[in-house]
Amino acid sequence: MEKKSMKGYIYLMPALIVILLFTAYPLIRAFLMSFYEDYNMISGEYSRIGLGNYKDLFGDKDFTKALRNTSIYVVFVVPCSIALSLLIAVLLNSNIKCQGLFQTIFFLPYVTSVIAIGLVWSWIFNSNYGLLNIILSWFGIDKVQWLNKPKYALPSLIIFSVWKSMAFDILIFLAGLQTIPKDLYNASRVDSTPRWRVFWKITVPGIAPMISYAFIMGFISAFKVYNEVFSLWGGKAGPANSAITVVYYIYDKFYNSHNYGLASAAAVILFLIILVLTIVQRMMGRKK
Amino acid sequence: MDIRIENLTKAYGDFKAVDNMNLHIADGELVGLLGPSGCGKSTTLFMLAGLSDPTSGSIYFGDKNVTKVAPEDREIGLVFQNYALYPHMTVEENIMFPLINRKVKKAEARERANEMAKLVQLDGLMKRKPKALSGGQQQRVAIARALVKKPEVLLLDEPLSNLDAKLRIETREEIRRIQQEVKITTIFVTHDQEEAMSISDRIAVMKSGIVQQYEVPQTMYLNPDNLFVAQFLGMPQVNTFSVEVKSGNIYCNGALLRSGCELKDGTYTAGIRPESFEIAQDGITVKATHVRMTGRDLLIHFSIGDTEFRILVHSDLSIKEGDEFTIRARKNQIMIFDADEKSLGKF
Repeated sequence: MEKKSMKGYIYLMPALIVILLFTAYPLIRAFLMSFYEDYNMISGEYSRIGLGNYKDLFGDKDFTKALRNTSIYVVFVVPCSIALSLLIAVLLNSNIKCQGLFQTIFFLPYVTSVIAIGLVWSWIFNSNYGLLNIILSWFGIDKVQWLNKPKYALPSLIIFSVWKSMAFDILIFLAGLQTIPKDLYNASRVDSTPRWRVFWKITVPGIAPMISYAFIMGFISAFKVYNEVFSLWGGKAGPANSAITVVYYIYDKFYNSHNYGLASAAAVILFLIILVLTIVQRMMGRKK
Repeated sequence: MDIRIENLTKAYGDFKAVDNMNLHIADGELVGLLGPSGCGKSTTLFMLAGLSDPTSGSIYFGDKNVTKVAPEDREIGLVFQNYALYPHMTVEENIMFPLINRKVKKAEARERANEMAKLVQLDGLMKRKPKALSGGQQQRVAIARALVKKPEVLLLDEPLSNLDAKLRIETREEIRRIQQEVKITTIFVTHDQEEAMSISDRIAVMKSGIVQQYEVPQTMYLNPDNLFVAQFLGMPQVNTFSVEVKSGNIYCNGALLRSGCELKDGTYTAGIRPESFEIAQDGITVKATHVRMTGRDLLIHFSIGDTEFRILVHSDLSIKEGDEFTIRARKNQIMIFDADEKSLGKF
């Protein structure tokens, strides 16, 4: 028994070393760094250990804005993406023509680089020549300064991200839909079930595990939003920092301002938020 | 309500799953669609349910042509092979579901569901989820759910195939009892000939999409229209072998089986059921090559020439392997088939 478990650990070693080195160690370091005040990473010096960084953090208007933006972003992107994905997955799963083609189209964003997609969308959002404004003009809506006006920055980011995260959600919903026995749908037809009730009583319960998985994964990745911001505005956080997010803030403080303590403190706060939300979700999932 | 199936065909490309089927099912009868897998029996059932569209032909429920009517408007109850109970609902919710969909008030729906549960003996299990039920109980939920909306026709697809042997016999009696109590026209699909014979008023035997014979079980067993039906019904299978007819005498490998038959001279295919032989003083003397005790009967193997026979005799006879004994075919028990395997009668 002893020998066997020893052997098992040896097999796990390579993976464990990588995880310890690149995940566990930085995690602990970041946690410690968040308490070092006036920290110099090169010399390793700091003035004292305390909550100074956290105090500065919550005094920083940029951070509270980032926190607010990220929350709004999460609240809109995750449910919208899941709802739309569910709708599209159900349509794709019904007997439509060119099913394979549509599946490929909807899955493309997942396999394409975010930077490339961001580039395309920054053209779609272009106020003068963008596709979106052209379509809106058909309905008599004036040109919207999607990427250039602070008040439209966050909505633009949300639209872009909903579209982008749908790919993954559609994929897992489709996989889930295929596990629902066809006979249940046949039975519901014989039982004269209205379509909406088929959806709520058979389809949704049938893929409930996938929906809850999509919610957890969606929340986690949405809180970490950064690539989307970076690619949409070419490295900036929107006009006048209007689309700043928590991870963008961390990146900015770390690499541009070299304020390592502040960046670490923000990272710890983000970590705690995600941790608490995940625990709450798992508890809710278990109750069911 | 009676059901008429007229020239019903279902084709997938060149393959005809159901081929020009004609059948009349009388009001209140229990009819078994029997056949090997792929014979078109389930396809027929799904066309009756409206879940599959016929390529041509018509289906009438009473006087109404329902060929183009959607399943929800056909007034049918359907029980699926795997029951297809809604897994996230309790037994009660499952049974109430068709009523709720028809906008029956909740209190009334619950009352009717409870009545149904009593009929199929499910009371006490109403708050359970399907997963917590045995196969037989799930089956009864499926039947209750099919019957609760008081349909005109009940359709069952292989209703017993997922149950173990003992439960299968219990449940088929149960289906018969419920059917008799509700007096509903019922069609069920099965590949088990014993099951079909034991509870059906009539059986339709199918092969390659074509109805071979449509009869009451006893008549069909005793007077099959063709070799396929003769072979499909009965366990152990009917003995089939080649016979020579010469001036009214039937010979099997030179041994005289019967004399004085009105048959033209020639070679025919014959069939004798295992229970249709009797031990007699005069007849053909054979040697038992294999004897098996099955309880009520002895199953004995022997050969006439190079044709092997299996017969059933009463288990109080003392015949052992290697023993010689004399047998003859009981009167009117030799079925003779022509070159097209059609029955020419019994001799």
